Amino acid sequence: MSGTIQDTSVDAIRSWLVGRIAFYLQRPAEEIDADAPLVEIGLDSVYAMTLSGDVEERFDIEVEPTMAWDHPTVNALAGYLHGVLGSRG
Amino acid sequence: MSVDAAVPGAAPARTAEPDLETYLGDPHDPANPVGYPAVLAADERGELLAEGERALDGYGLNAEFVPRALGGRFDRADRLAQVMRAVFRRDTTLGVGYGVTTFIAATPVWTSGTAQQRRWMADLLLRHGKASAGYNELAHGTDFGRARLRARPAGDHFVVTGRKEMVGNLGRADAVTLFARTDDRPGSRSHSHLLLDMAALPAEHLRRLRRHRTAGVRGVLLGGLEFTDCPVPADAAVGDLGAAMETVLRAFQVTRGVLPGMAVGIVDTQLRTVLRFALDRRLYGLPVAELPHARTTLVDGFLDLLISDCLATVVARALHLLPEQTSVYSAAVKYLVPKLLQEAAHRLSVVLGARSYLRDGPYGIFQKNLRDLLAATLTHASAAVCQATIIPQLPRLAQQGWRSSPPPPPALFRLTGPLPPLDFGALGLSARGVDSLTATLRGYLAEPGADPVVGRLCRLFTAELDRLAEICADLPPRDRTVIAGRRSFELTDRYATVLAAASCLGVWRHNQDDPFLRDTPWLLAALSRLAGRLGVDPGAAPDGLERHLFVELLTRHQDNRGFDLVNRHLAG
Repeated sequence: MSGTIQDTSVDAIRSWLVGRIAFYLQRPAEEIDADAPLVEIGLDSVYAMTLSGDVEERFDIEVEPTMAWDHPTVNALAGYLHGVLGSRG
Repeated sequence: MSVDAAVPGAAPARTAEPDLETYLGDPHDPANPVGYPAVLAADERGELLAEGERALDGYGLNAEFVPRALGGRFDRADRLAQVMRAVFRRDTTLGVGYGVTTFIAATPVWTSGTAQQRRWMADLLLRHGKASAGYNELAHGTDFGRARLRARPAGDHFVVTGRKEMVGNLGRADAVTLFARTDDRPGSRSHSHLLLDMAALPAEHLRRLRRHRTAGVRGVLLGGLEFTDCPVPADAAVGDLGAAMETVLRAFQVTRGVLPGMAVGIVDTQLRTVLRFALDRRLYGLPVAELPHARTTLVDGFLDLLISDCLATVVARALHLLPEQTSVYSAAVKYLVPKLLQEAAHRLSVVLGARSYLRDGPYGIFQKNLRDLLAATLTHASAAVCQATIIPQLPRLAQQGWRSSPPPPPALFRLTGPLPPLDFGALGLSARGVDSLTATLRGYLAEPGADPVVGRLCRLFTAELDRLAEICADLPPRDRTVIAGRRSFELTDRYATVLAAASCLGVWRHNQDDPFLRDTPWLLAALSRLAGRLGVDPGAAPDGLERHLFVELLTRHQDNRGFDLVNRHLAG
């Protein structure tokens, strides 16, 4: 465990995800539409796998590298991760 | 899909395992149907050598691609590359046009196919059937996510419309592994593999497209197919609908991880051809081989071949032992080894002089191989594609993997040691920032009895890794992707060079019972050469190092043994 306690509310996960995606796209966070398919806002399959890595580092969990293929929007990802993080013992 | 569909050719004999190198015979024998004269003549005609295809049918080459559990001989990725070298030593065109194409088409079926699909593909291959890998569309190339050929589900079947172009054997294959769009939405869940039994498809819905002519591997049949509302049975889907991208990311680790080891056979022939010339030809009262520049070039070529084989063999073994890490290694080996081999061949051409481009005569195979090597580099994944596969993983490797990964099991390097079965499902889509191979370097430095000279060279590579870690941890976001600038691509080159150094070290360290490999001079020379590649000064070479390796090269040549790690006796 990393030892850091992360805020794992849906809102906190969402705003962290938006921050990462804004970083990759080099755009202001306010421009990231949380309901738009990631691939349509410029995050291709490779970015999606990189994002899985970021999630693993941030929350100290293991997720499928294809996580963002199956949960293809910020909101879908935030909901999925909230579920995963909420259920870890 | 019918399991007992008819495939041309007779069933192979299931006797003791034959030796392909011996079977294919002396390549210089003019009467050998797969010797250099026949190979060169077929290349001049732009044809795949028909006698060669018959010979490989007779040997049952396809069985090398079929898992042992399905009745074939594939149980070790490193062995597959070594067996295929016998073909690549003689004719890269056959190696690619008969062998690799089928191997690439079959691997996704082994990875994600049902038991019935695997059985069908295995039977087809064991009866010398041909399989073709239907991925490429000229407009999209390796940008698979944008592939457009469409398979629309319609009740109990798919309706396929679109084209695949510039694909080996597509016009004559018995089976095609087709990469098709099954969902119109953009993204990575919109493509599926379909396994096509070509004899069962209605011909009126298919049109063969023109063959593309090439500068290298001129006999390879690069063709295309256009499907128009072609019905395909629903049970042709390999794996779940929408899962093709994932299958590709696994299956291609195996194919990309094995191909470079096959191509080592091409440069084995290049080196032998040039050495033969250099020993026969006298200039200034000496055999060319005794001229200092020529001798250095020959020894460098030998080292490049050994380095290439170290990386190729270790990565092939990693598919069995470190499958969660091979997404990076398989791209690195497919990038670096063809490049090293090509550079070696070009340097060797200087020794051969004008004969390096003569299309006939005793050294004619050299110019063919020089052209064919380019194809070996481009086949399946170009250098840039492989580098782009590594780039997104660099930051995470830099943050942790290069400092704290556990060292690999010694079995990774023990060339004659057993390997666990290759589990296609265990191949990781991402290495998750772990890199055990480079941990070999730090591991050696921590050993109490480490050789100080080896240690000094190892430190050059751990220092390089530290430099890389610093840069890669802070890569700007745009430089972490396939559309990164040149700097990121250069970083992958340097990283792959460190991986090669770690492979050489491990092979030396863990094969102390091999009379050649346990010898330290080759390792010192190989590490120095790789350091030079990084632009790092390796320091002065020990006295007599080059002479030592030159004597080894000459001895192997006189005994007619290969120049690779296998060091086996060759036919002829």
